[in-house]
Amino acid sequence: MRQFDTALGFAGSRHPLLRPLRWLVYLLLVAVFGGPLLALMVSAFSPVASPTSLTLWPEHVTMDNFARAVDRGVLGYLLNSFIVVGFGLLLQIAVSVSAAYALSRKKFPGLRLVYLLILSTMMLPEEILAIPLSVVLADVPVVHVNLVGTLAGMIIPVAAWGFSILVMAEFMREIPIELEEAARIDGAGEFRILTTIVLPLCRPALGVIGIFGFVMIWDQYMLPLLVAQDSAQFTLPLALRTLRSDPEVGLGVLLAASLLALLPSVLAFLAMQRQFMKGLTSGAVKG
Amino acid sequence: MTVRAVRFPRLRGGLTPWLFLLPALLIFAAFKFVPAVRAIEMSFHEVRPYLGDRWVGTDNYGTVLSDADFGAAVWHTVVLAVGQTAGSILLGLVLALLLEGTARHLWFIRTAVFLPTVVAVAVVAEVWRILYFPGAEGILNSVFGWFGLGPSDFLNSRDSSLSSIMAVGIWRGAPYDMMIILAGLAGVDRSLYEASAIDGAGRWRRLWHVTFPGLRPVFVILLTLAAIRGLRVFTEVFLLTNGDPQGSTEVLMTLIYKLGLERHDLGTAAAGSIVLLLATVTLTLAVRARRKVGTT
Amino acid sequence: MTRTTALVVTAVLAGGLVACSGSAAEVPQDENARLDIWTRRPPGDPSEQVSKDLAKAFTKKTGIPTKVTAIFDDFETKLQQAASQKDLPDIVINDTAQLGTLVDQGIVREVDPGEVSRTKDISDKAWDATKAFDGKHYAVPFSAQAFALFIRSDWRKAVGAEVPKTWDDLDALAKKFTKDDPDGNGEDDTYGWVVPGSTKRGYASWYLSSFLWSSGADYFSGSGTKLAPAIDSPEAAATLSWFQKSFCDKTVVPGSETAETAAAHPYFDSGTGGMYLTGPYNMARFDEAVGEGKVEVVPLPAGPGGEATALAEGENTYLMAGSANEAGQLKFAEFAASPAGQKIGMNGDENGSIVRLPINTTVDMAAERKDERWQTFNDIYTDASRYVPTVPDWTPFLQSSAKTFNAVASDCEADPESELEALAKDFATELESQRAGG
Repeated sequence: MRQFDTALGFAGSRHPLLRPLRWLVYLLLVAVFGGPLLALMVSAFSPVASPTSLTLWPEHVTMDNFARAVDRGVLGYLLNSFIVVGFGLLLQIAVSVSAAYALSRKKFPGLRLVYLLILSTMMLPEEILAIPLSVVLADVPVVHVNLVGTLAGMIIPVAAWGFSILVMAEFMREIPIELEEAARIDGAGEFRILTTIVLPLCRPALGVIGIFGFVMIWDQYMLPLLVAQDSAQFTLPLALRTLRSDPEVGLGVLLAASLLALLPSVLAFLAMQRQFMKGLTSGAVKG
Repeated sequence: MTVRAVRFPRLRGGLTPWLFLLPALLIFAAFKFVPAVRAIEMSFHEVRPYLGDRWVGTDNYGTVLSDADFGAAVWHTVVLAVGQTAGSILLGLVLALLLEGTARHLWFIRTAVFLPTVVAVAVVAEVWRILYFPGAEGILNSVFGWFGLGPSDFLNSRDSSLSSIMAVGIWRGAPYDMMIILAGLAGVDRSLYEASAIDGAGRWRRLWHVTFPGLRPVFVILLTLAAIRGLRVFTEVFLLTNGDPQGSTEVLMTLIYKLGLERHDLGTAAAGSIVLLLATVTLTLAVRARRKVGTT
Repeated sequence: MTRTTALVVTAVLAGGLVACSGSAAEVPQDENARLDIWTRRPPGDPSEQVSKDLAKAFTKKTGIPTKVTAIFDDFETKLQQAASQKDLPDIVINDTAQLGTLVDQGIVREVDPGEVSRTKDISDKAWDATKAFDGKHYAVPFSAQAFALFIRSDWRKAVGAEVPKTWDDLDALAKKFTKDDPDGNGEDDTYGWVVPGSTKRGYASWYLSSFLWSSGADYFSGSGTKLAPAIDSPEAAATLSWFQKSFCDKTVVPGSETAETAAAHPYFDSGTGGMYLTGPYNMARFDEAVGEGKVEVVPLPAGPGGEATALAEGENTYLMAGSANEAGQLKFAEFAASPAGQKIGMNGDENGSIVRLPINTTVDMAAERKDERWQTFNDIYTDASRYVPTVPDWTPFLQSSAKTFNAVASDCEADPESELEALAKDFATELESQRAGG
């Protein structure tokens, strides 16, 4: 039944030309999507990065660009980024799953309005919200806490993200209601239904919001800018932007720092892919 | 929990969804809605953070709507949004179908393909400026040369600038869509594939009758996202061309940036963004209304 | 419309500011209160350290404690954030070009040059750059710079050319750099000019202004509130045609139509283009990338019918509103402009200089810096440079002229004359809305 692992189901096909053709396609895809970036990353090890050409093999390998990036405190920024993304992502996934559960599996008055409100949080450009947001950060309504100058100020606001909620909700909607009802008859509470029935069936979606949530928090620019009081609280994207327009360093230092910024995302991606695979198998077993 | 459920079934039924929504709503209220309300307020004021705002009525809206480039910017935004969305979804679908599976080499290829999405946009812009270098010795122009084409000016001519940006958007957007589609594919019931095979359906019919309908939630997500994000297209344009050359890539957000943010005129920037917001809400409602028709 | 309202207030009342310094006076004063100093420097850059050294020396001399914060990109966003929280820093060291915006927002204090100790030692030209449209001063000068032509001297020698003295020489050299393979690698991959020709932050106009002035053209005629557009003059049209031709003849590095400075610098770094009109802050970077002794710096030659004039820029020490230590603010600004402060800021020939050219005429730069190219920059600044025109808000003019210049440069069919006529009309409208047209 291997043939039915995938939608195209080529795995079961025995055509002699299929194999070489497939590898050709793979090669093309890697070249088109990965090639330019790999070449650019190689430039991070070159003394002078050229703005007109890319090479996959540097003439002289040098760590200078990395040394200078480290001189500029990139490691400290990296640590801040790790802290923010670690706590931020955990919170964000929990909040998204919880909200999506209500939106997709409950019927209540005001549902559509709430849905639209959540979507609308993704509609205003950050540049516009920046100044009003900075006022809120300095004095959070009702509780009157000042988040400026704390890493918490970069974590709490990203804990809710419309995209994650939307993706989770659409996937949860597909899970048959009968499974839930059976558990309810067995006396399971809402929390148990969510964690033991609904969530395991949403693994691929968890992978999606995990990956994109990671990238979203990792790439945050405006929020850390508003929250940071000085460079001690900088995250990597703030440093990248500064390196890009600093006339006193060349392209190489920016690339070295970008490479450092890229690696954790790739690792996160590899880790989250696991969720997809589990989803795949569970999908196959389900029938 | 269960005990209380027995005692107050009605109350619990009414409150439960709100309890689950509470964390998200609280955070949104503080960090999105309050600032957004303030942004709407700003759009009717001359904003002077230190001296205090001054009411100017709809003047800020007038500044944006009457700008000579507004019409062109709307058109470019729509072209770019539609092109990037359609391109990314189609290419993302092809990628997902090709790269679905558990084989080890596929892990590697998926990761390579996904790279454009996780790299900082600033770096992406840097790469593409290099690839697009318009001299005959530029990389893409060399590739074009093998096929007897070019050289093209890419970003630097008004004939090709918008499509060049669109290509970058698709290059970056397709892997994004691919991931969501892959997750959708993982959820498609495998027994349906077998059933259709037993019915004697070929590969393409199976795709059409089983896979695509199974991907419906995914398409809902992708279209909703496209409606929300499409009109806000900014960063790629800002970093690659900033609306140049000859205003051929000016989009709404770059125009708002120039009229408002570059001039430190927050009121005008806010007004432009509210216009954008209204257009986005309309578009999103249209997409979701269509979906309702589709499901029933 | 918004701007008009803003200007009515600034120009007619001139009072937003008076009112503001009035309210600032209500802040209880403490002559020993710490000064928060913001400087537009990349954090982690050597220049951040130099800024801190400057502040430390000030504290040592006066006993007033200081805290230095380096912010680079989005400096303005952070400043607006501070303003909306009513918690401005005491001192901001930032570009002279920001003056109009800061005054417009009412967040800087007026400065009476007469109250600044040893005012006469500070060059008049630098004082001019602290003057707003209303004729009052809103800062103390800190640093200056002017633009000069960077040339790959090894390339110039390789193609057997002299240092350009006229615009014809420039054209000839640009052609040779493009055609004669100056780097000798046997490939057709070099160009004459590196140009930041993007409209972003008005770069196209920012860059071309030196050429316009050097050919006798100008943005405006008249002065004070009686300005009229002059950008449609025959000289301006000739310069823009010349600019367009260099793009169409491909002596400019391709891609310059959309290049901002961050994208243009690498074209010089990598030996793609051999001539670049830019500021002194690039010397160290280019030396390192290209190799010591291969980069020469010369003044931009005078254009046909004009005399050489380069764009001048610099930084001011702004005294921000609402400070609890107004006396300390002034003391710091004085110290930063004094010979002692200027020497620390110049940092010899080392990296991280925050004073490019000293604004204090008693400072002997040759004694501080061995690299004689600094002297070239100094001579250009003193004898052959000018700041951007004084209008209430320069940004709209910068944006619209950059758009026109960019459009002409990227389209060989475009007619410079008619484009400039249209631009002059835009200028007239904007002058009127800023209440600066005669």
